[in-house]
Amino acid sequence: MAELSFPLPDLGEGLIEATILEWLVAEGDQVERNQPLVEVETTKSAVELPSPQAGTVVKVHGDAGSMIAVGDPLIVFEVPDDTAGIVGTVPAEKPPARRVRLSAVLDDD
Amino acid sequence: MSETLSGPLSPAGNGAAAPAPLTLSMQGALNRALGEVLEDNPKALIFGEDVGRLGGVFRITDGLQARFGAERVFDTPLAESGILGMSVGLAMAGFHPIPEVQFDGFAYPAVNQIVSQIGRMNYRSRGALPMPIALRVPSFGGIRAPELHGESLESLFVHVPGLKVVSPADPHQAYHLLRLAGSMPDPVIFMEPKARYWQKGPVDPADAGALEGARIVRSGRHLTLIAWGAMVSRCLQVADLAAEDGIEVEVLDLRWLSPIDADGLAESVSRTRRAVVVHEAPRSSGLGAEIAALVTERCFNTLKAPVERVTGFDVPYPSGDLEDEYIPNIDRILFGIQRVLEHRRG
Repeated sequence: MAELSFPLPDLGEGLIEATILEWLVAEGDQVERNQPLVEVETTKSAVELPSPQAGTVVKVHGDAGSMIAVGDPLIVFEVPDDTAGIVGTVPAEKPPARRVRLSAVLDDD
Repeated sequence: MSETLSGPLSPAGNGAAAPAPLTLSMQGALNRALGEVLEDNPKALIFGEDVGRLGGVFRITDGLQARFGAERVFDTPLAESGILGMSVGLAMAGFHPIPEVQFDGFAYPAVNQIVSQIGRMNYRSRGALPMPIALRVPSFGGIRAPELHGESLESLFVHVPGLKVVSPADPHQAYHLLRLAGSMPDPVIFMEPKARYWQKGPVDPADAGALEGARIVRSGRHLTLIAWGAMVSRCLQVADLAAEDGIEVEVLDLRWLSPIDADGLAESVSRTRRAVVVHEAPRSSGLGAEIAALVTERCFNTLKAPVERVTGFDVPYPSGDLEDEYIPNIDRILFGIQRVLEHRRG
């Protein structure tokens, strides 16, 4: 297992910080990719941040109401070693299936 | 030509002090090898897109920047010609670059540096400027990635004089071949079968086994299946299925795609008298054609049938589920075997 830290991303338009409104996941939760993690409020709007990946939440940084700067740690995931890379998926290991049968008269000349 | 154990490696015979074999994914084996190459050689450097802070999109360089510092493991701009061009300069200055091109299809912008400089600098300088560069390229298909993330470029690289090209089939091979590639005086294109990154297997750090040439992964007397990279494990599955029908298939992992172990190929096929070569790359001028020529030149009088090729198709590599039809699957390989078994000389 490996731990991955996800910082508060740049929310655009020159915003440098955000206030945590509500955590939508808790430490110990198993989350899926794109699952909403947290609602944060900037000077522009309130937004939900989707999870960048699947994993188990190890730690969330900051309680509701606290301010967090862009680039500071937001959440830490624990991910299994066999998670896919950022592109693509882990191929499923299936038992080999066949439709073709071999038939041959092997003359060992 | 050498045999390497395909089953669990026994610690017996290594001496009491030898560490026990590990069970690692290919990711883990490559990561461990890179760490040891950096430890052994203070001139070794790792760089590429996202290899530093992120640890690589496949986590092959995970933790190495924290261990060795950002001067030895660092991120580059998204410019493959620059990554390889910088490798040329660093190699000339006495470093041992181990660059990564993030995906096979991203190597195209670097082909000029690879062909015009890296492959021929040693020759051009009469040996004064060797190019000790190990270029890692996550390669081949099988992970449902988008366009230009599933290419099989071996024919391109093998055709360039001055390059060595190698592709590991399992974690043990990956660990030892990368340690070797990272310490060789010649440029090596190291093609990692990304579809096999997550599959775990035994790795014995203390006992590499022979690393030169091809290796026989499974013995059989009726036919030789020739493959490399991710196709080796598929061919082993096919060999199991063929055995149910009474056909004993030998599986040869070519391993080094340049230089090709022609003697090893001939040794196997001269015994089995039949050969099928399997690769993911398009068929025309694929490496299978070269192998068929080599085998025919050396085994013409003993061959019972023309060398059969089971390959990808002469179209751009498809994305999504279509890749299951493009990459040689078990039935297509079995059909290839059947065609060879059925062949009768006129």
